[in-house]
Amino acid sequence: MAGPSWNYVLKFIITGDAGVGKSSLLVRLTDQRFLANPDPTLGVEFGSKLITIPEEDKVVKLQCWDTAGTESFRSITRSYYRGAAGCLLVYDVTSRRSFEHARTWLADVRAHADPHLTCILVGNKSDLASERRQVPAEEGEQWAQNEGLLFVEASAKNGANVDAAFETAARDILAKIRRGVFDDDRVSPGVKSSSPAGAIVLDQSKASQSCCAS
Amino acid sequence: MEFFQQTYTALRGPTGVQQTPADTITRLSDRLSPSTLLADRRAAVLSLKGLARVHKQLVGTHALQGLLGIIQNDADTVTTLCDTFDGSYAQRDLGLDHTDRVLEDEKTAHKLFALLGDQDPSLRYSACILLIGILQNRPLKVQAYFLKAPVGPATVIALLDGEKEIVGHAIAMLAALIRQSVEIQKILAFDGIFEKLLSVVTREGGLEGQSVVTDALKCVDTLLRFNTSNQSYFRETNLPSLLCSLLFFNPNVQPDQAVPQDFALQFWTEDKIANVGLILESIGLLLGSKGSGLREGYAFTKLLIEMGLASNAPTPLKVKCLRLLPPAAAPLLPDMILTPYMPVPDTNGEEWDRLEAATGIDALLELIMHGEYNGQDSVRRQKESVDLRATAVGVFEHFLRDDLVKEAIVSGMLPSENSGTSAHSPVTPLLFGLIIPPSSPFDRASVSSVQFAAILFAHLLRHAPRCKDLARKIVPPPLTPLSTSTAGGAFFVPADGDPPPPPESTSRDDTEDGPQSLLALITEHLSLAFLQRSRAGLAPREAREADRVICVYLLLLSQWLWEDPRAVREFIEAGGLGVLVEQLNQPSEIDVVVPGLCAFLLGVCYEFNREPGEITRVTMYSILTRLGADVLVGRMNRMREDERIKVVGPDSWVLPCPTPGPQALDPAFTPMYEGEMEIWFDWAFVDFWKANIHTIQRGIVADPDSASSSTAQSGEESILVASLRGIIAKQAAEIEALQIKLKELTTTPLAFAGASTSETSQTTAEIDEERVALKVALEAERTKRAEVEKEQEDLLVLLDELSSKRAKDKQRMEEQGMDVSEDEEGEGEDEDKEEEE
Repeated sequence: MAGPSWNYVLKFIITGDAGVGKSSLLVRLTDQRFLANPDPTLGVEFGSKLITIPEEDKVVKLQCWDTAGTESFRSITRSYYRGAAGCLLVYDVTSRRSFEHARTWLADVRAHADPHLTCILVGNKSDLASERRQVPAEEGEQWAQNEGLLFVEASAKNGANVDAAFETAARDILAKIRRGVFDDDRVSPGVKSSSPAGAIVLDQSKASQSCCAS
Repeated sequence: MEFFQQTYTALRGPTGVQQTPADTITRLSDRLSPSTLLADRRAAVLSLKGLARVHKQLVGTHALQGLLGIIQNDADTVTTLCDTFDGSYAQRDLGLDHTDRVLEDEKTAHKLFALLGDQDPSLRYSACILLIGILQNRPLKVQAYFLKAPVGPATVIALLDGEKEIVGHAIAMLAALIRQSVEIQKILAFDGIFEKLLSVVTREGGLEGQSVVTDALKCVDTLLRFNTSNQSYFRETNLPSLLCSLLFFNPNVQPDQAVPQDFALQFWTEDKIANVGLILESIGLLLGSKGSGLREGYAFTKLLIEMGLASNAPTPLKVKCLRLLPPAAAPLLPDMILTPYMPVPDTNGEEWDRLEAATGIDALLELIMHGEYNGQDSVRRQKESVDLRATAVGVFEHFLRDDLVKEAIVSGMLPSENSGTSAHSPVTPLLFGLIIPPSSPFDRASVSSVQFAAILFAHLLRHAPRCKDLARKIVPPPLTPLSTSTAGGAFFVPADGDPPPPPESTSRDDTEDGPQSLLALITEHLSLAFLQRSRAGLAPREAREADRVICVYLLLLSQWLWEDPRAVREFIEAGGLGVLVEQLNQPSEIDVVVPGLCAFLLGVCYEFNREPGEITRVTMYSILTRLGADVLVGRMNRMREDERIKVVGPDSWVLPCPTPGPQALDPAFTPMYEGEMEIWFDWAFVDFWKANIHTIQRGIVADPDSASSSTAQSGEESILVASLRGIIAKQAAEIEALQIKLKELTTTPLAFAGASTSETSQTTAEIDEERVALKVALEAERTKRAEVEKEQEDLLVLLDELSSKRAKDKQRMEEQGMDVSEDEEGEGEDEDKEEEE
């Protein structure tokens, strides 16, 4: 029971302009509910979820950090980039500004993150697209393609594509692991497999369980 | 200074020019310039290091700038530099001033963070020491620089993998770095600080480890304590189960699984006690914050209960376990089977006896009633052991959240129904504690048991009318003197739950007028305690024991009699009123608590004396007047000033003995043991008393006929109750008025006919009159009509006669040959004519 029921732990960070719905995406992922009026100062900050990737036959634990509280300290968010396996770069489809700022966020990611970090561009608030869209889906997709990012439009409000966004990114990371992008000497800091070399092993039952699981 | 100059002069030789320290330091500072040869520079740094011990200020003023310059460019010298800095922080003001200069810009701090990752261990070490120093002086500034440092948290965390010598300092530096900075705590958690800290713990010998382990666990606690993000992260990991494993507790424990002895019986050292204490705090924190969803929730709860009630853990840790147990865990107690242990006497805690298994709630009650290990040391009343019992009362209070639980417990104290009228209640540990009579001289262990029993029982009864009803039916069995004097002995084992030796002799009450109720017995014991207290030449210690017993009886009675007129009646019939009045007639000169409590209880009796009986409110009113209502009010007020009431808080009612304060009773009193503690009142009572004292003070001056103005609750609730009461009273008055009216209307409806007072009666009378008039008129009409009818009949008869006569005449005329008209007109005319005739 206490042994890991997962094959990998993947650290994700969620980044992007203030107000694009980062916390809402996280809450939608972990709690399946929508934060109508999230407090901008008190983000949810951390959430986790187990997801299954059937074609890989793997269970993955996503640990997601919301960087909302650190917008004022852009420098410290760099430390998060450095330790993450995946990044959700979020903009708001009803705000062109937030889309334009995504470029600077991406530059930050590129400058500090592990080169193998998987980044997915998420156009949030797709539920409002029919009335107030400022960024066409094609434009987002095109830019993502140019920059080598994954892309999805999602809505934390109605839940559309939220799980898909995380799953797509997780699949990509697993594919990288399978291809051996992360060789044994230099595993990405954001990926932890269930039989890590340096883990703390105290009781025997847990250790044996973790061996079986992997 | 003197010594330094002499040495210097001696070294310099007699011929040299006199040199001041300032000159020397200035000269050395000049050599710090990067243009100087490395060897010279080092020599200068070393000399400055020595000088800094004595001339902190001078070195700071002249050399700091140069030293900071070297830190930037020449990492090799930092080792010696750090010592220089280190020295300058001992003197607070100067140190702060120097720190401010070091932190003028971010360069030095960033350099230091970078040096933490340097290849050279001694450099890492020195940078760490220096950071500790400046973090202590200006934490906020260093923290802000850390958040912007280009190297990030990785170097800091990597230090924990380093050599043993450096790990200790790294942890000390971390402790200063994370203090009150949620952002730093979060980023370190993201980078795996929890895992690293706990691996330090396991590497350094687990919980048996020394100060490094303690410091690491303190950091874990800081990282979790006020950081919900880190708490949710920590819960998601497998670290909570690691915490269990560190304590040798199976994190996957199942409810029916026994806990192995490895956990229950451990060897305890000072270090281990500190470490386990920290782990327990973290466990309590994780359990307390949105406890749901925690995989180890059950294991944690069980761990706390097992360690708190059935282990050989040192008492302060047991206190911690029970204190950290979340309120929601208390209902688990009855279903949990524990095996408590007892130390084998004279083995110095090295051998332990396993007792019979008991449920958690039995073990808890046993602990409260007798103290740890069946009251082995309860006579000494040491802080830990009294604290443990008081904390256990808190757990019991959580257990009583539900009124049904209270009722079930009180019902269990009643005599069985089918054993006749003279049946006694079964002796439970609680009841046993309640009925221990005051002995002379006082038995210290028994006094504590009585105090705790009364406080527990008060928890059961307070604001629970159903329980009060049941409690009046408790008939305690008589106790043999033997069984009472052995409290604290070793044979009343909790686990088997057996009552003490069956009573053989019957007390006098039993033979006289049937079994005595618990309330009557307590009243009697109160009176006995007062009697013993008043004995001449009582030793100060004895007097204090008597006061404790008296206070706790009064505590229980005030809460029991509150809002329970029948209990008041019983108390008065058992002679309680006399006891109180006697005490209030000749109150103690020095003590304010007992007279205050007596006045309060008397007020409660007066307020709730609403059942018919021998002593009515009118009788009591005259007694109150004689004692002086304002005097009584004053006595209650003075009680507030007493420290024993004043310092009691929700979690602090175990007080050092004697409780300090102006009312430190008898100057001759000294506690029997060093570090002895005492209890007087629990928070629940003090809260109750504060909420109700005004009601009683108002009630005491009220007229005997006045309705009860009591309000059981406080604040808003009492206002609500008062307003509802007002509405009810108004409605009752209205209903009464309406009923009276209805009665009048139904019983004397005719009266209204005559008495034309109201409008309706007037109209009825008028209608009646009219009706009568109409009736008369109708009658007249009827008679008239009857007369007319009769006349008409007569006329018809007459007509008939005439027509027959005419027919005869006609016949006769025809017979005589006379002309006779046949037409009816003629006839009619005839008739008419005849009629006219």
